[in-house]
Amino acid sequence: MEASGSAHQFIPAALAAFGVEADEIELAVMGAAHEIFWPPILELLALDTSAVASEQDHDLSQAPPRR
Amino acid sequence: MSEPLDLSLREQAAAIAAGELDASELLEATLARIETCNPTINAVVETFPERSREMLAAAPAGPLHGVPIVIKDEWPLPWRAQRFGAADMLAKTAPGESGPYRALRDAGAVVVGVGNMHELGASSTGNVSVYGPARNPWNPDRCPGGSSSGPAAAVAARLVAGAVGADGVGSIRYPATYCGLSGLKPTFGRSAMDGHHMAGVSTTIVSGPLCADAGDARRLASVLYGEELRAGQVSGLRIGVIEDEVSEDVALPVHEACEKAIEDLRAATDGDVRKIELPELPAATLATVLIANSESLGGVTPERLNNLHPELSPLARGLLKYRLMLPAAATVKAHQVRTMARRRLAEVFDDVDVIAWPTVPAVAPPLEAPLVELPSGTLTADAANVRGGALANLTGIPAISVPVGSSEGLPIGLQLQAAWGRDELLLDAAEALEGANGRRWVEAVPPLTAEQTEA
Repeated sequence: MEASGSAHQFIPAALAAFGVEADEIELAVMGAAHEIFWPPILELLALDTSAVASEQDHDLSQAPPRR
Repeated sequence: MSEPLDLSLREQAAAIAAGELDASELLEATLARIETCNPTINAVVETFPERSREMLAAAPAGPLHGVPIVIKDEWPLPWRAQRFGAADMLAKTAPGESGPYRALRDAGAVVVGVGNMHELGASSTGNVSVYGPARNPWNPDRCPGGSSSGPAAAVAARLVAGAVGADGVGSIRYPATYCGLSGLKPTFGRSAMDGHHMAGVSTTIVSGPLCADAGDARRLASVLYGEELRAGQVSGLRIGVIEDEVSEDVALPVHEACEKAIEDLRAATDGDVRKIELPELPAATLATVLIANSESLGGVTPERLNNLHPELSPLARGLLKYRLMLPAAATVKAHQVRTMARRRLAEVFDDVDVIAWPTVPAVAPPLEAPLVELPSGTLTADAANVRGGALANLTGIPAISVPVGSSEGLPIGLQLQAAWGRDELLLDAAEALEGANGRRWVEAVPPLTAEQTEA
């Protein structure tokens, strides 16, 4: 399904589930954000990362330890 | 001597130290220039002359003794809480001593004003702020870049010679590029960060300098790092380039200017250019956005979202509410992409010293409609800019944007990224590039600024 199509269902349903209200402008902003972000999010969700060994105690100020 | 305000940051510091420039006169001249020139660009949202004079009176001898500095509205000051460019930043704030403030004070600098910023730090354009947008000194109808919009515009307009910004997803490098400055995003954790409302939570945000050239950025960065970033000669620089949308889906003038700059840098350092591959880059861009957005959710509750300040922009209100819907599974995978990207970069940096690509793919877009025309079509500036800006924040590596050209009278920037802890190499490389192009781009002054400072 196109992101713009799913936005009509997904966003109001999610807002209702969280108990969050939104006006028309905010809904339009969320719809636009959904069109931009949702397709790559679905691509990311489709990625199987189970084989990625975690980086223990990762320290972003340094290179990851050599495996 | 040139007009004191037109001296570089390190020239101002040297002249004061040598007794050739009175720091009080420099401060008063800076305040006067802000009063005269700032209304056109809205870079500085607040000055506090008495606080600045008190700071100068108590200033110790140090590497920035008496030098006026603008600090982004992201950092608290002892007399002022930060507002994050917003009517409501959904986080507790109070006046206080942030790390950057303490570093500046202890170096003898004088905080002369607060720099505007994009609302909630949420865009690369700087076109929305509770104070009204900052404007680009090269063309006030164009975006100054964000989110450190005011610090960049203030330095470009020569209101001050140096400013402190913050970079969570490119927020120092985007405005540095749009305003024709040198902007350094430090290695994660290397620059002062305490006192930031996201300190200890954010894994992407760092403080950093925005200055006219790399020499000034080095001086100001050394203060923020609490250690001297020593200059060195670069020789045999191995420059990595990538054949990817970040370097290919780029407006032609930007592509040409960056290609020339890379060749200039290679020649100046007797180095070589090598092709590299970063297949994780598209996923890394999304991962950065997901991580940065999820880390800022602490103060977000359904109740608060239903009672947002009425002066928050509709864009911010909508995006804050949309953040609640980001799937946790995607954020978990984003962290795994981070691990993959860090490992890939560690391998790449075995083979190259720096990675070079355009900081952003097009020059500053109009404030009213921040869209950019690229070979692939029309994109929002944010969607286009994040492709090149996110990787350094995701992985922790340092990056610098340096001015390398101009199109439509607007600056073009090249980004250099290096391995963790090699911030000094980036500054050395930037200085080598400045030497190679005769400092043409770092000494360029916006026409508006030249008119106003001559008046």
